[in-house]
Parts: sequence; structure tokens; C-alpha cells
Amino acid sequence: MASSSGSGEVTTERRGIPGAQFVEDVQTYLAQAGLDVNSALAFLQERLQQYKLVEMKLLAQQRDLQAKIPDIEKCLDIVATLQAKKGSGEALLADFEVSEGIYSRARIEDTDSVCLWLGANVMLEYSCDEATTLLQKNLENAKASLEVLVADLQFLRDQVTITQVTIARVYNWDVHQKRIRQAGAPAKDS
Amino acid sequence: MQQGGGSETEVTWEDQQNINKFSKLNNRFHELEDEIRIAKETNDNLEDASNELILTDEEVVRFQIGEVFAHVPKDEVESRIEEMKEVTTKNLEKLEDEKDSVLAQMAELKKVLYGKFGDSINLEED
Repeated sequence: MASSSGSGEVTTERRGIPGAQFVEDVQTYLAQAGLDVNSALAFLQERLQQYKLVEMKLLAQQRDLQAKIPDIEKCLDIVATLQAKKGSGEALLADFEVSEGIYSRARIEDTDSVCLWLGANVMLEYSCDEATTLLQKNLENAKASLEVLVADLQFLRDQVTITQVTIARVYNWDVHQKRIRQAGAPAKDS
Repeated sequence: MQQGGGSETEVTWEDQQNINKFSKLNNRFHELEDEIRIAKETNDNLEDASNELILTDEEVVRFQIGEVFAHVPKDEVESRIEEMKEVTTKNLEKLEDEKDSVLAQMAELKKVLYGKFGDSINLEED
């Protein structure tokens, strides 16, 4: 989370996501940036769009990870089942899908090993213990990545909110300025 | 957020942080609602499964583990389903608790923010 350093001008950055600047005073901000209201709004809107784009990317990554975690858990489950069957003398009977909608029956006799698909067209045979360790490690990694990702998203949402509030404030400030000018003009005429 | 009323209430960094917090809580609230819905569905499905198990005469049933349907004795399936139910029920409770805490925090922040900004801020869902 963005640490607050009194001034409110914390423009931190997180994993390539630039922090949004909190505007203390709209007038000073515009003067400092050398922008008029319209170009400031345009700049902020553009920034907002960029944030939204990153948000979509991160959300897609989050979805992937959220799908991956139960997958790994399923793998762990079946390895544990195989291990439990081992030594019991019974074979594990299983119906498995050979092609979509077509099932066949398999007899899995006492087995010490399973083959793990590692990706990139590589499959490797592991002992059940090793497989469990590897899968467990993958699971932990996936959970850790998810945690980091969630934190990234939170940081990003903060920046989005800051930008939205800033847009509203710049806009309000402009409306306010115009009102003052309008109220001032006729008063001078009379 | 704020709509152009033209009234000038100064927004401090502290206010901004409260707004950020509110926005994040609101987001989490929606996520929780989804997660709770899914957890309830899972629970219902497990409930259905154990009811079906009581009705069946089969001694061995197909139980999905990973991608395959393993032939597992009915008793074992019953106990596995019970275990799974326990896990999802606990998970559901945890989610409900978090939802309550999120809602309480949001109510607290609403008080603070409405107190300061009044009509200039809108924290309600459309």
C-alpha cells in the first residue's frame, strides 16, 4: 500500500505502475504543471485509461492463477489417492476419458511413480513423494504469485481512485471558477 | 465519485486515503459476494451428492479425483464427502465473517466521508 509521507505528494511506483500524484490544491497543481483545465483533464483521462488497461491485464493474470490453483490441488489429490492405494494390494480402478465423451477403464496396479507434464512437450516420471513435493512447491508458488498480484491490483486501484478524484476536483474547481467570474461580471455592470 | 456541484470542500490526503480505502473495500465486497455464491453452490452440490449416496444400492461408486472417475467403495466416498463439506463450510463461514467486517468498515467510512463532504460525494452503488 502507498505509504503516506505527510506531504501527500507520494508518487511511488510499483512494478512498473506509476503512482498517481495526489493534488493538494488544484490551482497550485495547474500552475506548477503549467496546464490549463482542459489539458489537465485530458492528461488525467489518458492516465486513467492506461490504468484501466493495466487493470485488465492484471485481472486476466489473476483469473489464470485462480484457475491454476485448483488444478494443482486436483493433481495433489490424485497422487495422494495413488499413494494411499499403494501397499493395500488392491488396484485402483478408474474410468478415464480417452476422447471427448468416450471413457475407458484403467487398472492402476501398485505404483511408485507418476508422470508429470511439465509443459513445453516434456513429461517426466517422478516417484509419488517427489511428485507431491514438486506439486506442493508449485502450489505455494502459485499462491504467492496470487498474493503479489492482489497487492498489485490494490495499489493500482488506489491510483485509479486518486486519478478519478483528481479529475472530479479539477472539474469542480473549474466550475467554481466560472461561477465566480459570472457572479463577478454582472455585479460590476450594475 | 463527486459530481460538479461547484462547492469547494478541500480534499486532504487523509480524505483521499479514506476514499481509496472505501473503494477497495467496495471491490472486495463484490469479490466476496461472488466467492460466497460459489462456496454455497459447492456446498449444495456436496449435499446433493451425499443424499444421492444414501439412496443408492451400489457398493462401489465412481468418484471423481483429478480428471478420472475412480471406483471407490461407498463408505469411503461418504467420509470423503463429509470431509469436503467440512472444508467448504468452514470456508463459507470465513467468507461471511469477512463480508461482515468489510460492511462494518464501509459503514464507518461512509459516516466519516458523508460527514465531511455531504452531498458532494456519492458512495452508493448505482
